[in-house]
Amino acid sequence: MDKKEFTEIVMPLKDRLYRLAKRILVSADEAEDAVQEIIFKLWKGRQNLEKYRSTEAFAITMTKNYCLDRLKSKQASNLKIVHSNYPTSQNIEREVEANEGVALVFKIMETLPEQQKIVLQLRDVEQLEFSEIAIILDSNETAIRVALSRARKTIRETMIKKYDYGIR
Amino acid sequence: MELDKINKLLEAYFDGSTSLEDEAILMDYFNNHTVADHLLQYKPIFVGLSAAQNESSNRNFKIAEPTAKFIKPWWYAVAGMTVLAVGIGSLFLSQPQLSQEEKETLIAFEKSKKALMMLSENLNKGTQQLSFVNQFSETKEMFWKETSE
Repeated sequence: MDKKEFTEIVMPLKDRLYRLAKRILVSADEAEDAVQEIIFKLWKGRQNLEKYRSTEAFAITMTKNYCLDRLKSKQASNLKIVHSNYPTSQNIEREVEANEGVALVFKIMETLPEQQKIVLQLRDVEQLEFSEIAIILDSNETAIRVALSRARKTIRETMIKKYDYGIR
Repeated sequence: MELDKINKLLEAYFDGSTSLEDEAILMDYFNNHTVADHLLQYKPIFVGLSAAQNESSNRNFKIAEPTAKFIKPWWYAVAGMTVLAVGIGSLFLSQPQLSQEEKETLIAFEKSKKALMMLSENLNKGTQQLSFVNQFSETKEMFWKETSE
């Protein structure tokens, strides 16, 4: 696999990998570093890349594992990832976050358990099929549906509690 | 858009039993249509998720250059070895050159110091002996005075 071929296969995935990394690590800088690291790793192991049925699933799994490891090592060394996501970057997320309700949704997503966070990201943001998510997370579809349902319900319930929408 | 259908889809959504197509319908409804009052509470969820889909990084990610990765350490090693060799070499070469002259001067200095010490020792011995001569000449003087008178 030469550089051109590799770029054509891997580079279209970068935003997807970045979003997942950011969902897990929260900090945009950390997420970018993680994606860069993953691209290096994929390039290093490019001979093996053809062996996998889906390069995308492989790359997502790698990103997920890398970010979780990173999170673990940070916690172990008592260092929290401080995110300084300055409003200068032109992310659409930030513009919409001005909307209070949407900001709250993102905050609730941050508090979800890692597994639910990842499932929600892969399904509701990246719109992957349950079968694909099952391969990525090395799990089964039922378990993923359960995790997803829990994540979605947690968001709904926290929102209702916060705004008392249900009572009005 | 049938409100009834949306209500049903929403329920299924929170149970995790919607298909990707169903979810696309929900996403479209909450993002692009006028949302019914009793469903407004769900709007931020779908607006947020759709916003999250468009997020991207501006960073220019690099692919590691295989040549750069392998040749660089090789050059560094050669450069490092050269600097080290020159450093050690100059240390060995420069030291004897300097001390050769110094050694000779030092030997000459030591030798002349020894010689001077010997000279001064013998001179001291000589002056000690001289005191006897002095004594002799004093007595001789006395003797001579007596006899001349």
